[in-house]
Amino acid sequence: MQRHPNQLRGSLIWIATAALALLVINVMIARDMLDSYIAGVLNIAGINIILATSLNLINGVTGQLSIGHAGFMAVGAYTAALLSIHYDTPFALNLIAAFVTAAIAGFIIGLPTLRLRGDYLAIATLGFGEIIRVIIQNLRITRGARGLVGIAWVDSFFYTEIIAILTVLIIWRLVNSAPGRAMVAIREDEIAAETVGINTTFYKVMAFVIGSAFAGAAGAVYAHKQTFISPNDFTFLKSIDVLVMVVLGGLGSITGGIVSAVSLTLLPEFLRFIDEWRMVIYPLLLVVVMLFRPQGLLGTKEVDFRAARESIRNLALRLSRRRAELDESGGAVDVTLGESTAANTLQVVVEQETSCRGKDGESSSKPLLQTNGLSIYFGGLKAVSDLNLSVPEGALHGLIGPNGAGKTTVFNMITGLHPPSEGEIYFKGRRIDGQPPHAITDTGIARTFQNIRLFKDLTVLDNVKIAFHLTAGYGLGSALVQLRPFHEKERWIESEALRLLRMFNLHDRSMELAKNLPYGEQRRLEIARALATNPSLLLLDEPAAGMNPQETANLMDLIRRIRDEFGLTILLIEHDMSLVMQLCERITVLDYGVTIFEGTPEEVRTNPRVIEAYLGEEAV
Amino acid sequence: MSRVAALLVFIVACVFFALLQRSRPRLLSSPAVRYSYYPASILLAIVALNCLLISVGTDRMYFLQQAVYGLSLGSVYALIALGYTMVYGIIRLINFAHGDIYMVGAYAGYLALTSLNLPFIPALIIAMAVAALLGVLVERIAYKPLRNSPRITLLITAIGMSLLIENVWQKVFSSTPRTYPNIFAGSYNILGISIDQSRLIVFIVTILLMLGLQYFVTYTRPGMAMRAVSQDRDAARLMGIDIDRVIAITFAVGSALAGAAGVLVGIIFPQIKPTMGIMPGLKAFVAAVIGGIGVIPGAMLGGLIIGVSENLVTAYVSSSWRDAIAFGLLILILLVKPSGILGRHTREKV
Repeated sequence: MQRHPNQLRGSLIWIATAALALLVINVMIARDMLDSYIAGVLNIAGINIILATSLNLINGVTGQLSIGHAGFMAVGAYTAALLSIHYDTPFALNLIAAFVTAAIAGFIIGLPTLRLRGDYLAIATLGFGEIIRVIIQNLRITRGARGLVGIAWVDSFFYTEIIAILTVLIIWRLVNSAPGRAMVAIREDEIAAETVGINTTFYKVMAFVIGSAFAGAAGAVYAHKQTFISPNDFTFLKSIDVLVMVVLGGLGSITGGIVSAVSLTLLPEFLRFIDEWRMVIYPLLLVVVMLFRPQGLLGTKEVDFRAARESIRNLALRLSRRRAELDESGGAVDVTLGESTAANTLQVVVEQETSCRGKDGESSSKPLLQTNGLSIYFGGLKAVSDLNLSVPEGALHGLIGPNGAGKTTVFNMITGLHPPSEGEIYFKGRRIDGQPPHAITDTGIARTFQNIRLFKDLTVLDNVKIAFHLTAGYGLGSALVQLRPFHEKERWIESEALRLLRMFNLHDRSMELAKNLPYGEQRRLEIARALATNPSLLLLDEPAAGMNPQETANLMDLIRRIRDEFGLTILLIEHDMSLVMQLCERITVLDYGVTIFEGTPEEVRTNPRVIEAYLGEEAV
Repeated sequence: MSRVAALLVFIVACVFFALLQRSRPRLLSSPAVRYSYYPASILLAIVALNCLLISVGTDRMYFLQQAVYGLSLGSVYALIALGYTMVYGIIRLINFAHGDIYMVGAYAGYLALTSLNLPFIPALIIAMAVAALLGVLVERIAYKPLRNSPRITLLITAIGMSLLIENVWQKVFSSTPRTYPNIFAGSYNILGISIDQSRLIVFIVTILLMLGLQYFVTYTRPGMAMRAVSQDRDAARLMGIDIDRVIAITFAVGSALAGAAGVLVGIIFPQIKPTMGIMPGLKAFVAAVIGGIGVIPGAMLGGLIIGVSENLVTAYVSSSWRDAIAFGLLILILLVKPSGILGRHTREKV
């Protein structure tokens, strides 16, 4: 199957190559072909792989900038060291203890700080890293700045290597599963992630805890290798070291991080002068990479042999094509051709659509969505006041009003992005106001945004796959073990996602990055993504904005069609009056946050108050 | 008996302060109140703390002495914090290199005082000029090309610039500390508290610089342009404001203040070294966040809070916990009011 280089995935070839390399190194160590110095360097490289990969999960995959990684390494190192010194426990036990304590530290620190965004999080993690160091420096049990000596020496390249492999494997599997997709979604757009049903706080904390735990494991290995540790091993500069590895390899690229972790460990060993100037070269490297290749050496891509082969083939192809292009020019006509076929397919579907639904009668007695006295204040401004909306099942309800009337705010309140100041929202008879957005999505409400919020740097297919988060139905455990049910589920998600894309005539584009789609297709993709959460109520926020009459007509057919096919109830905000009048069965008119009228399109069209407030007096 | 009275005063002061907080927006709308508000609240806080300490029976003079020391240290933090806050307000970047610009300012002042044998004021001005130049240079080289990049890219670049300046400096000037000449040796006795001449100078210079900044931002054209850009960069551009120039001016002014802070810290704590900027830089940033990042009076307030509490921790707990207090305060404020004491709550538009 065709793959986009940015698609999330795993690669067996990599694991096989790494295993072979390690086998060779192990045999060489066993046969004393490598002296202890080289073995030691390799060991450090292994520790750095663990650190870089675990930080990558937090910084690269989930997009939360943490610059206090050394703090968690310190927690692990001191846990292992204290156990080893005072209780003489075996290495394996110390390692597990380090892993667990670092995870706990990560949880304690992550839970409060991950509510913050971007810069604040960075500074908070930095602060915590420093506090951990100050605490270690002041406690008697850690012997302050003098550090701990007498940790049992473990000749640990073997252990380091096993742990490094485990780290990479676990994080790799995680990234290529539903939880990993959730993390990537958070990196791309937190609000959109929340509205497709992802509990963003949970997954941020999860990434942070897992990352910290592995940093702790790296600390334990380090402590047992050095047999001596002091607070100065875990300063802010150590955190920066790890950050440089991740950034250089490319934030989000696990293989890139590994490559740069190994090279940055080995390079100073080969080039002595680099070691002397290391603290000048590292920051310089950081700045230069950011200035000229901010996505790192690999970006979010992974090193993939197949991709390499393909790019060589592409290069050859391009070379030969350029030669051909010298002979003749042109060839930009097919674009418009594609568009019109898309319109045709929709036309066909519309003709089929006449098979109507016949359940209108009884369901109208009990509304699917009901709001009672819904109001919200922004400072002193009452943006929406006393909204009483009642949408029966299967309805196509319109919400119109001049700019600033509070229509989008109503959507934000229903989906939980802005908790209402007063009033209640009932959905399927259950009260939903006050719940977080992801929980509301889980009850069956999906939405699109006025200013399209796709996961721009992911493929069209991944955009939809992420939205299957709620129906994925497996957790962290089965993502890591990856037994048959997992693969079946993943295949199901992929085929369902493709089915949805086909329905929206986007399946040819499935490997395209979302940001590269034309405007109209982005709008359609956003609706497809909303449908993937399996909603019973769909909120569309100005779906026809910026569309030409032909596209709007197609959109109307599409909306009718998805309502019938998915048994949806649709609430729709729109400024295009012809669309609203033709499509909606009932319309609510807002003006300055106040409901001024509700009725059928015919009544709205003739109501004098609506005409005055909405269409302007001259329209009368 | 007097202890109980002091405790009562403390409680009354706390309640009064809480009430004051609630009606702050209304109070601050009158200009007469605006300028006396922050000094008055700090005074109130000191009085309240003092009463608390009397009530638990601690030596009052010792406390006041420490608080005064804290204020002079805090004013240095405040000067550095101003640069952070101004830069953040205008391009939403934590300029990690700011602490190192402060360090370079300290060295420039040192060289002016010793090698050039200049008096204090010219040395201060030279240090400010050098720092301003370096700040603008850093912005041009490292930040300007990334103006439309993701924030994380910019932040990593800033961390890189900080380490770069620090380590290049270490290669050039070596890591051996230099010692500032002792130019203000005397001390005064005011109401039983002994105040070093150097600390008094620090306090006075800081206040003058802050007043100057306040004037610059409020009444001059570049100051107005700066505020406009921090509100909405695109709208400001459309009004004919040269964004690049305004950003450069912001960096220059912020860095000059940091340079001044470098010289001032040199006359209280004479030892300077290339890594001296890291901790004060971080703490000053914390001060800016505590006060409300992007808000100029907030940076002053946060700086003073951190300076005073740090000195009190040193005096009453232990100097080895000193570095933890700023970060502890940071975590606290982020949990309680992430936008900072004077910051405005902003909501992402959906």
